[in-house]
Amino acid sequence: MESWLRGPRAVAVAGVAAMLVAGALVAASLLTGSDEGVSPRPLPAALDSSETTQLLQGIPQRGAVLGRPDAPVTLVEYGDLQCPYCATWSRMALPELVRDYVRTGRLRIEFRGLAFLGPESETGLRAALAAGEQGKLWHVVDLLYRNQGPENSGWLTDETLRQVGAAVPGLDVGRMLGRRPAMTAKVAKAQASATAAGVNGTPSFEVGPTRGRLQRVEISSLDADALRSAIESARAR
Amino acid sequence: MTDRTLRLCVAALATAGLVVSGYLTWARYADVTIACSTGGCETVQGSSYATVAGIPVPVLGIVGYATLFATALFVLDLARALGAAVALGAFAFSAYLLFVQLALIDAVCDWCVVNDAIVTAVVPFAVLRLRPLVNDPARTGS
Repeated sequence: MESWLRGPRAVAVAGVAAMLVAGALVAASLLTGSDEGVSPRPLPAALDSSETTQLLQGIPQRGAVLGRPDAPVTLVEYGDLQCPYCATWSRMALPELVRDYVRTGRLRIEFRGLAFLGPESETGLRAALAAGEQGKLWHVVDLLYRNQGPENSGWLTDETLRQVGAAVPGLDVGRMLGRRPAMTAKVAKAQASATAAGVNGTPSFEVGPTRGRLQRVEISSLDADALRSAIESARAR
Repeated sequence: MTDRTLRLCVAALATAGLVVSGYLTWARYADVTIACSTGGCETVQGSSYATVAGIPVPVLGIVGYATLFATALFVLDLARALGAAVALGAFAFSAYLLFVQLALIDAVCDWCVVNDAIVTAVVPFAVLRLRPLVNDPARTGS
């Protein structure tokens, strides 16, 4: 077996094999790695978070849940931080739902983040989930939606997350960034939940009594009215 | 330096590399925060360069170091050539990853630097193991 592997030829074979292996790894890494940091789309130096702060002021947050834990109805949002329709829904529907249902203690909203649009979705999602450990997931999600850039264009970088984090009152940004690798199980759990619910696009919603059976709701528009009847009927159940 | 010494050095460094790669792999799958003095480790591990074709880089490290360790157990020509190939390949890939950290991610991970040191240290030992294949007159002339 080794008769050919002798003398300088063995050295040449080792060298060529090393170059091939390293070259393949580098090529694969370059193909799958994003160009984050190369051409990030800059955000305004000082991010305006007043609307987000106002929207969420005084509402309890625990992990990915916004609203009182004992609210009778649960709304689950399956969203991708890079999905433009999710951002539109967050801008058009969320404030009304918060005002009419969450603030009155009748609804709790759970964000189940997905990362099917690319690596930048996961970068943001991990940070948002990590912010959830500090009760600030909804602040980060809302600010990212408001400052959303084109899909995988280099907009969602560590720098973006630092800026967003700095605009969230009381958030320990370093801790949020540091905890991102520990979010793998949560990312996988949300994905598994989406698969089980048959979610194949975002935003998607489930509504039902808290701790009861949730049902998928197909929405016809991205405003609050599209979900009102489902929330009302879940309350009546 | 005898081949036995070279093999011992390769095995010892491969074991150290396995400990580092094993720890980073464990941290990734057990969802624990990596012990890190700069905070750069999390940034690096959270970046899209932390996986290659879906495989976490620390897992590649485990495979590489395990292979390197295995080559140190044998005196076969194939083991010598494979050991040198893995060490040189790992050295080149580590250099690329260091470039990625400095130029693209803008964060350096302590553990990656430790790994770079181990990889750099193992290269001369693994390459020196090729000496008999080149120098021994009884082996040449095929």
